Amino acid sequence: MANVKVPESLPQGLATELVEALLAFMAQQDSTEDEFNLHALRLFAHQFQHNTAFQRICQLRGKTPRTVRSWRDIPAVTINAFKELSLSCVPPEDCERVFMTSGTTRGDVRGRHYHPTLAVYDASMTRNFSQRFMQGADRIRMGILFPDEVVMPNSSLAHYLALAMREFGATGSDYFLGPQGLDSARLSEVLAQVQQTGEPLALLGATYSFVHLMDELQQRGQSFKLPKGSRVLDTGGFKGQSRELPMEDFYAQLSSMLGIARSQCLNMYGMTELSTQFYDAGNATLPSVKSGPHWIRSRVVDPLSGKELAPGERGILVHCDLGNFNSVTTILTEDVGVAVEGGFLLLGRAAGAQAKGCSLAVEDFLQAARA
Amino acid sequence: MSTFKAVAGYLPGLKAEELQWQTLNFSSRGDTLEVAVPVLSPAQLVALAERVRVASRRALKTMSVSQIIAVVDRVIARLLDPGDPYRQEAEKLLPLVTGYDPEMVRLGFTGYLKTFRAPQLQRFVAEDFANPKILDEFQPIQKGGMARAFGPELMVHIWAGNVPGLPLWSLISGLLVKAGNVGKVSSAEPLMASLFARLLAEVEPQLADSLAVVWWKGGDAAREQALFGQADLVAAYGGNDSLAQVRGRVPITTRFLPYGHKLSFGMVGRAALDARRAVSTARLAAYDVCRYDQQGCYSPQVFYVERGGKVAPQEFAQYLAHELAALEHKYPRRILPLEEAAGVAGWRQTQELKTFSQTGASLIGEAGAAWSVAYADAAQPLAPCALNRSIQVMAVDSLEDVVPQIAGQRAFLQTVGLAAAPKELFRLAEALGQAGVTRISAIGAMTAPEAGWHHDGRFNLLDLVRLVEIEQSAENAAESFAPYQD
Repeated sequence: MANVKVPESLPQGLATELVEALLAFMAQQDSTEDEFNLHALRLFAHQFQHNTAFQRICQLRGKTPRTVRSWRDIPAVTINAFKELSLSCVPPEDCERVFMTSGTTRGDVRGRHYHPTLAVYDASMTRNFSQRFMQGADRIRMGILFPDEVVMPNSSLAHYLALAMREFGATGSDYFLGPQGLDSARLSEVLAQVQQTGEPLALLGATYSFVHLMDELQQRGQSFKLPKGSRVLDTGGFKGQSRELPMEDFYAQLSSMLGIARSQCLNMYGMTELSTQFYDAGNATLPSVKSGPHWIRSRVVDPLSGKELAPGERGILVHCDLGNFNSVTTILTEDVGVAVEGGFLLLGRAAGAQAKGCSLAVEDFLQAARA
Repeated sequence: MSTFKAVAGYLPGLKAEELQWQTLNFSSRGDTLEVAVPVLSPAQLVALAERVRVASRRALKTMSVSQIIAVVDRVIARLLDPGDPYRQEAEKLLPLVTGYDPEMVRLGFTGYLKTFRAPQLQRFVAEDFANPKILDEFQPIQKGGMARAFGPELMVHIWAGNVPGLPLWSLISGLLVKAGNVGKVSSAEPLMASLFARLLAEVEPQLADSLAVVWWKGGDAAREQALFGQADLVAAYGGNDSLAQVRGRVPITTRFLPYGHKLSFGMVGRAALDARRAVSTARLAAYDVCRYDQQGCYSPQVFYVERGGKVAPQEFAQYLAHELAALEHKYPRRILPLEEAAGVAGWRQTQELKTFSQTGASLIGEAGAAWSVAYADAAQPLAPCALNRSIQVMAVDSLEDVVPQIAGQRAFLQTVGLAAAPKELFRLAEALGQAGVTRISAIGAMTAPEAGWHHDGRFNLLDLVRLVEIEQSAENAAESFAPYQD
């Protein structure tokens, strides 16, 4: 288990007590609605005071720390705002790290998420990962199907995976994605090796990298039956980086080619704009229920009115992540979801609605602009 | 809360039990509608195409254009009659299918149908053919010799979208040039063309086999290839992606007419911006925005408003917002599916963020309102809004300044709603036409093109026909072979 401490030198303007209180809160086993609320409102007041851009958004919506009484009332900031505004309580140049979105959806404008310290992100990631992915194990041999942090210093996923390997990877853990792409030859050697030795292996990476892996293995006519305890973590979807296939087929193929039960194929749902991730408990049946730790709460809302929808109704996901202590706690995603018992179902992206008539729609327009 | 059922398609010679059926579900304002759509096998499509081709040769191609116009006129008269069961069915079902406000559909439908009455159709034909008799028999032509216009043996229509009645344009065009017609309706609005075809067969049973209305789920390669292989001409509507896909399946020897999605906008000159006229212009502009919730290719997505009038562009944006709010009471926006609602919400947020960085920018309309007006104090390149009654108003120093802003969208431009004095109208028309615009209308008439308009700047009927010429030399030579030749 990672032992994360508040670094000794923090940028000015960063309320050290706030971070300490937050880390202590995250270290709790669980929390009540009231406790969550208390921390959320404290962070809201802090962000309202120290981030002018956010303050203006709040003022446009008529929300101030005086009127916001619950975490549910905190104005949700669209993820697009991370592209247009500087959402940080401390000067961006004083931040330890900035994570950027891949910029695949809207030209070259990339969303920026400023982290004055990675202490909170790392604590959030490791506690949650240990519980949801490691399932009690201390370490496991890992194969990472994603570039490392040196290649992608602004990728939150690269950092996430580096952290996973550093904190939880057993000897022999390694990256299998370099500048030349997926090193499938070396990876299949490892797969064959662990199949023999019986050492469990965890493969972690972008969903599309697993498609590349499966395509390669198929071409070689290879398949494996990985030892008990082996597991998979995929994240992020296909993003136009591989052929797209229905998720049902994706997990069926993954499971049969690697010999890992679908219940051991986990999907992580994370975003550059968050500091906390969601997991499911395997993908034996789809869509799987996603949930996060006690320091993040989600709502499903009507995108136009912002009103929360009843469980079972399709809407847009809003997350309130206390790990986002420096940016904004509450973000409005472009993801469609449904609230269910124990979490939510993730049903894909809402962006890119096609016109129903013959009027040119934004999506067509962007496509034409890209072409 | 009721459930209605309807059947789409019109398939002469095929019995319901010979077909596979699927159900498309619609719901609006608490009512639901189940539409059964027929799924023909590729072989059935080919057989149907053959039947239509043969029948149209016998029935449609032996009629004169005037006779065809008379038949269509009788069909339209039935559809305009409030007591007619077909009209009543259309009025009941179209709002359910499209989600549009019933009263808006009723009024729009009437206005639209009126453009297909006999005098309007005659104008429509005369627009493309100086001598309409050329569609019936060989006629002398200017350069010498004779010519006759033949319509396709088989014209296939691929319709898209949910703007009610849109398929009637191309279907009636096909009839006027005496083509056998097979039209594929869209999943978003499968009923209107089906109703029209059935009614036509009832009004003129002789034409019953000259047209058919089918359905398949868009993009079905096997069915598209099978039917396109039978066609002389394929007219397709849709986004560029789906058009490209369709084009790939049309044989090279078959004519292909694509009608892509378009981008339209309005321009308000300072002459229209005195205290009295600004209000009425804003009202008309709001009407163009509300009509079919901007789903039409002719629907405005931006209004460029000229500075220097009594009413400033920003005030005009306020007037427009006010009129949109009023129209929302009269013709409420349809209930948006989640994806479209998210699109509007996303657009609103982007506009909201712009107010931080752009001086004078504002967003008018509450988050929950069924309309939004974004105002920008400086002209920006033309770009789509989120439709569904979201509109961008931009100030320009002079209407001339609009021209460079639309240059990048040349391939997508269609209608400009223009409010300006005559001299400006003609000066701007020149520049707009050069930029790629194909239609300039009054504001308030953007969504109701005149009978006989040249859709996307093309010839509705001329583009469909093949001219067969008897050259003067043939006529001269024939003289020498006449039995009465000395």
